[in-house]
Amino acid sequence: MSLKEITKETTIADRFLVIALIILSISGSLFVKKAFPEGTDVRIDVDGKPVYLLPLDVNMVVAVKGMNGDSIVEIKDKKVRIKESSCPNKICVHNGWMDRGAIICLPNKVTVNIGSPENRQDRTIDAITG
Amino acid sequence: MQLQDKYRIALLSAYAVAIHSFESMLPTPVPWLRLGIANIITLVTLVLYGFRSAMTVTLIRVILSSMFIGTFLGPGFILSLGGGVSSTMAMGAVFSILPRLFGPLGLSLIGALFHNIAQLFLAYILFVQQIEPILIISPILILLGTITGVVNGIIAGLLIKNIPKNKSLSKKS
Repeated sequence: MSLKEITKETTIADRFLVIALIILSISGSLFVKKAFPEGTDVRIDVDGKPVYLLPLDVNMVVAVKGMNGDSIVEIKDKKVRIKESSCPNKICVHNGWMDRGAIICLPNKVTVNIGSPENRQDRTIDAITG
Repeated sequence: MQLQDKYRIALLSAYAVAIHSFESMLPTPVPWLRLGIANIITLVTLVLYGFRSAMTVTLIRVILSSMFIGTFLGPGFILSLGGGVSSTMAMGAVFSILPRLFGPLGLSLIGALFHNIAQLFLAYILFVQQIEPILIISPILILLGTITGVVNGIIAGLLIKNIPKNKSLSKKS
């Protein structure tokens, strides 16, 4: 049994359906990626309390007053970084640019969260079985 | 229903239950990927013995194997039942309206597609109630369903070609 024999058994509609489904699913996943990006806004918390809620697609620099002084948060090209911080070890600064997830500065108690209003509800799908 | 038909349905259901139960024990890399090998039996039954036999075999398979696995009337059972019934109905409708248009491969793909659509729909209505994760997961599921559907369709096509239509399955000639 070879590949040629298998393709000989299929009708034109079969082959058309295979190609159509593959194109449909790949373009669908690309469309979904465009329509629902990973993050749309940036939430900055200090000591667990929300301080700023900023859009991710507007470039700006804000100074956040943390526990030990200011942390400078920069938003540029849909990415976020902590530019400067008054914390001792500067782990948050070395984190660099992020486009999803979170940057946390423990000494300053500043957390920068990238997300969207929907996925903050913490109700995400686990698994589909059956 | 003739006695021979009953035997045939019983035998085909036994195959389907065994395959379905075996498949549910296979580990898969992602939780929502299932091979759907049991669909081969449904498809072979549909093409060789008609829609009513195929639907009977599907219902027996879903109910019995959920009892064996231990998911009877649970969320997995509802998804499994909805997927199985709608995929059999879609394949049966296409096969009876346009019998010459699609071969086993195309029918298998239609079955896989409707299985996924029904499961996503049921998952949305009953469990998730958020359109966003459903939309994100749909293209992935449909792509995986297409791949497994092609493999299952080829196997079903080989089976249909090699089983003589009027011979009883239980008798080895």
